[in-house]
Amino acid sequence: MSLSFLQRVPQPLLRPLIPLTAVLIALLFGVALVAATGASVSEALGAFAEGAWGSPYAIAASINRSLVFALVGIGFVLAERARLINVGGEGQIAVGGIAATAVSLYGGVADLPLGLAFILPLLAAALAGGLWGGLPGVLKVKAGTNEVISTLMLSFIGIWLLYWCVQSSALLRQPMSNSGTLPESLEIPSSTMLPFFFGDPSMPLHVGLPAVLVIGPLVALVLWRTLFGMHLRSVGLNQQAAHRAGMPIARTLILAMFIAGALGGLAGGFMLQGEQYSLKAGFSSGFGFDGLVVGLLARGSIAGVFAGALLFGFLRSGGIYMEMVAQVPSALVLVVQGVIILTLAAVTLINRRGEAV
Amino acid sequence: MSWEMMAVFIGSTIRLAAPLLLSATGELVSQRAGVLNMSLEGMMLTGAFAGALASWYTGNPLIGLLFGTLAALPVALLQAFFSITLKANQIVTGIGINILALGATTLAYREIFGSRSSEAIPGLSKWSPPVLRDIPLWGDQVFDQVWLLYLGGLIILLTALVMHRTALGLALHACGAEPRAVDKSGLSVARLRYLAVLFSGLMAGLAGCFISIGDIHTFTEGMTSGAGYLAIAAIIFGNWKLGRMVLACLLFGAAAALKFFLPAIGIQVPNALLIMLPYVLALIAVAGLIGRQTAPGSLAQPYSRS
Amino acid sequence: MEHSASAMHQSQQHAAKAGQPWLQLESIGKRFGSFQALQDVALQIRPGEIQCLLGENGAGKSTLCNLIFGVHEPTAGQMLLDGGVYQPQGPADAFAQGIAMVHQHFSLVSDLSVVDNLLLGQAHGFLRRGAMADRVARLAEQYGLQLDPHALISTLSVGERQRVEIVKCLMREPRLLVLDEPTAVLLPDEIDALLRVCRRVAAQGCSVLLVTHKLAEIKQVADRVTVLRGGRIVAHSEHPADELDALVQAMIQHAPDSPAPPAAAASRSTRLQDEVLQVDGLGVTDVQGVTRLDNFTLVLNRGEIIGVAGVEGNGQSELASVLSGMSSPSRGRFFINGEELSGASPQAVTRAGVGVVPEDRHATGCITDLSLAENIFLNRLHEFQRWGCLDRAAMRAAASELMRRFDVRAASVDSRFGGLSGGNQQKAVLARELTLRNLTCLIASQPTRGLDVGAVQAVYGHIRAARDQGVGVLLISSELDELLTVADRIVVLYRGRIMGSCPAQPDQRARIGAMMAGQTP
Repeated sequence: MSLSFLQRVPQPLLRPLIPLTAVLIALLFGVALVAATGASVSEALGAFAEGAWGSPYAIAASINRSLVFALVGIGFVLAERARLINVGGEGQIAVGGIAATAVSLYGGVADLPLGLAFILPLLAAALAGGLWGGLPGVLKVKAGTNEVISTLMLSFIGIWLLYWCVQSSALLRQPMSNSGTLPESLEIPSSTMLPFFFGDPSMPLHVGLPAVLVIGPLVALVLWRTLFGMHLRSVGLNQQAAHRAGMPIARTLILAMFIAGALGGLAGGFMLQGEQYSLKAGFSSGFGFDGLVVGLLARGSIAGVFAGALLFGFLRSGGIYMEMVAQVPSALVLVVQGVIILTLAAVTLINRRGEAV
Repeated sequence: MSWEMMAVFIGSTIRLAAPLLLSATGELVSQRAGVLNMSLEGMMLTGAFAGALASWYTGNPLIGLLFGTLAALPVALLQAFFSITLKANQIVTGIGINILALGATTLAYREIFGSRSSEAIPGLSKWSPPVLRDIPLWGDQVFDQVWLLYLGGLIILLTALVMHRTALGLALHACGAEPRAVDKSGLSVARLRYLAVLFSGLMAGLAGCFISIGDIHTFTEGMTSGAGYLAIAAIIFGNWKLGRMVLACLLFGAAAALKFFLPAIGIQVPNALLIMLPYVLALIAVAGLIGRQTAPGSLAQPYSRS
Repeated sequence: MEHSASAMHQSQQHAAKAGQPWLQLESIGKRFGSFQALQDVALQIRPGEIQCLLGENGAGKSTLCNLIFGVHEPTAGQMLLDGGVYQPQGPADAFAQGIAMVHQHFSLVSDLSVVDNLLLGQAHGFLRRGAMADRVARLAEQYGLQLDPHALISTLSVGERQRVEIVKCLMREPRLLVLDEPTAVLLPDEIDALLRVCRRVAAQGCSVLLVTHKLAEIKQVADRVTVLRGGRIVAHSEHPADELDALVQAMIQHAPDSPAPPAAAASRSTRLQDEVLQVDGLGVTDVQGVTRLDNFTLVLNRGEIIGVAGVEGNGQSELASVLSGMSSPSRGRFFINGEELSGASPQAVTRAGVGVVPEDRHATGCITDLSLAENIFLNRLHEFQRWGCLDRAAMRAAASELMRRFDVRAASVDSRFGGLSGGNQQKAVLARELTLRNLTCLIASQPTRGLDVGAVQAVYGHIRAARDQGVGVLLISSELDELLTVADRIVVLYRGRIMGSCPAQPDQRARIGAMMAGQTP
């Protein structure tokens, strides 16, 4: 398959072209699948659109979800620059959610002024996620442990930790009045819930939006304009040369993983305090892996993360609605995602000859 | 705690460990040859679904087994093509296939079974070896297992034999340790790796069938629920050695069986902790806390003659 | 294709009687792009002889071996085997026609046993390990190779692993065995053992082509010697034992058409008594137990350039690695301005005032995907830090200044470093190292390798300028001419040891050359 003509396309144009093509192919495939199931394509697409962006509520919900993907994706991109692959987003979200719930419900923050009521649980979430990401970093430095495996294992551990927390009354489970009491936590106090951006419940877009809009460019700034970012990128490009140049390798690697984990934890905090308001089993339910895919799609660019996050956010909302209304299973969205990932994995080769990504 | 309870526990351990044993064996061969096959979960799920489908459709669980096993092969081929020929990132490929398989099987299931979600499917029957089953008190509990398990045990023994005593096994070992040496000796690294990945697909298909038509006799969406990743954890914990991996699978099966066993003897341990245990063990192993880890040197690294 | 031993022997005896060489290379040339690796090479190998191929690194020895072994095809000339045309399409072809080669880098699987490694690719169905073990034992008997068939490769010493590679070759009953610098990694008694094996192999009718730069080996086993320099045959001897000196001279002398080295710079700064670098008994033993550097002791003063001569692979890399802080010595110590730095980090070494121009620029000297400015300040980026951010404007300005001073040609300071030519990259590295604030010592390894004439002269100029300002320079180079041009004194490394030292004057050339080849003066 000779695609050498691609090398003549100017670089800035080529970069987003590849993931765009992958997405397009996958979407077309998805539409074909819808047709294959015998459902009416127009009905399905109509329902999808309705659920994704058909009402202010829908748009807000989609964007809220995008924020979660964006944070995990940003964390992935940051760590990737140091040549660390963080697949532990799911677990980092989970422990972030646990920490945020614990602090919101039992941390005595409900009456604090100046927004500390919702800020402190978010910080706790970020810290928990940071530790969950930092540990694989430490293992990598001390024992040479492959961070893919360690973050993956911790991901499952985090998910089941969450299950334990919501199933045990001694932990976060709401007081059980009878055996039918659902395994979830109490609802968090309203002061700990994230305020709405527009102050309007019918458009429940929360303040996470400006936060993420700041964090994204901030991380880009850190990567490209700070000394730490310089260290991080150097370690990722050539660890030996970075070592020779006196850069602190161990510290950089651990810190990179910590930050990536912290962003994942923060995403968990956003999910809890911005959308769900109580910790339930299945809290993270695939958000972590989706965020990972967004990170992969972005191919190192923060702008790419935002684009991918929006795409996946709307995909998810649309998919849920499509299932409810047009009876097309939302699993279709999973198929589309899978095709995107695989197309991208295959296409990376062509780009390898063009630029160093 | 009676002997009978112990017997039930052991029997459950074996039963719950079976799908792990099957898929982990295949994955071990793949990893030994140098390919990290993260799509194990997807292959198992595909096998589980295809097996259930065929069994339900034809009414014959054997056909289901055949179909389910074969259905996993195209998925394995996909993983192999991406990892070996395209030399793409093996982890990304694996995760992508898992998501795709989850989506595809769920979609297909809804389409075909619709609302008949818990319809019973003709399943594989049980079997127990003649002498052992007659052991009083616990012979029945321990040894009366789905016959696929015994077949699986046989396959595991055969795998051990091939890996340690034949030219093929030698070549596969070398592929994962030092592919350059294999290339120099005139063999094809790519061809050997393809073979290994297809074998892991076969075993994953068998494992999936065990879950759907062997054990539970039904199909539910995403029913493998992480078993594929657990199998990889077992390999890691077993330090990539077949014998130790078998023990690890049994250990993980025991952890799962404890879920029923402990409450029966009055000990309350949260289920989640027991489910978490295998991953914790794998993490401890990979952190080097129980001895040096010796993964195949060329694991997850595509080979190109340079 | 298996020859039975007797058939092989017969055909070779026949050839020997007829006086015909078994393998003939005529006017062989090999070109890689614009680089002429070999030109007009003629070589003959007679049955049952041991011929040594002598030459420095880059002379073309490996290329020649690869041609014989079928890895590459010649771009000119032809090869004849037993009178017929020989055009191997690959190593498998060469093997089939009776030519085997033992490379410098082994392709063995460490966690498998000797027998398993030998069975790889050769066995079918069930492994008959016992039979292979017996075969190994017989070969060991026949050629005098000590080897435990069931030992794991990981437990074997480098010498023993090499034996496995040799057995791999001998099992195919070759008529020519090519050994590429086999003794580089061996201990002295292992070398003797290897040479004995060579004699046994030759005695049984198989020719041996031994690539080496060591006179001791030539003295011991060579029937004939061919000297390669700059891709051409410059000498040949039928009686090497009597003509050793001439051979060494041929190895290190200029090829007639390359320019004579420019006269040494007239000015020499007066030597101050300050000792900049003191190395005391430095030793490095690698993970496989091979001693790469042994008892290296040296004193470098301010304003002095000491050249470390020697064919590559004799301990230079290990020396540079230790002195730059990239690895720790196994024995001994070294001091910079009186401060001990053995085992210190690269950061500490830099802070102590040591500039390092590494041997492999792309491995440890620079990051090709970063910009020129970033690379120039790679080891002092923190100087441009303001409130955590990098003051890129200041960095660019400073880099432009350095670019000008060191004549680094690039589109801009923001150009990707990897896009610069080799010469400009090296100038940039020099710019970085020579402008260290408290620079007292410069360690330069193979600094002009791969550079064009203009860049080479520029590098010499900078090194001399540093020396003139009182910096002590340790110049490690395998180009003797370079050292004679630039250095004040020369020490010679051979097998990790200092063979001797002498002033860097042209009349010392013969003596230095002999030391480089292992002759004690």
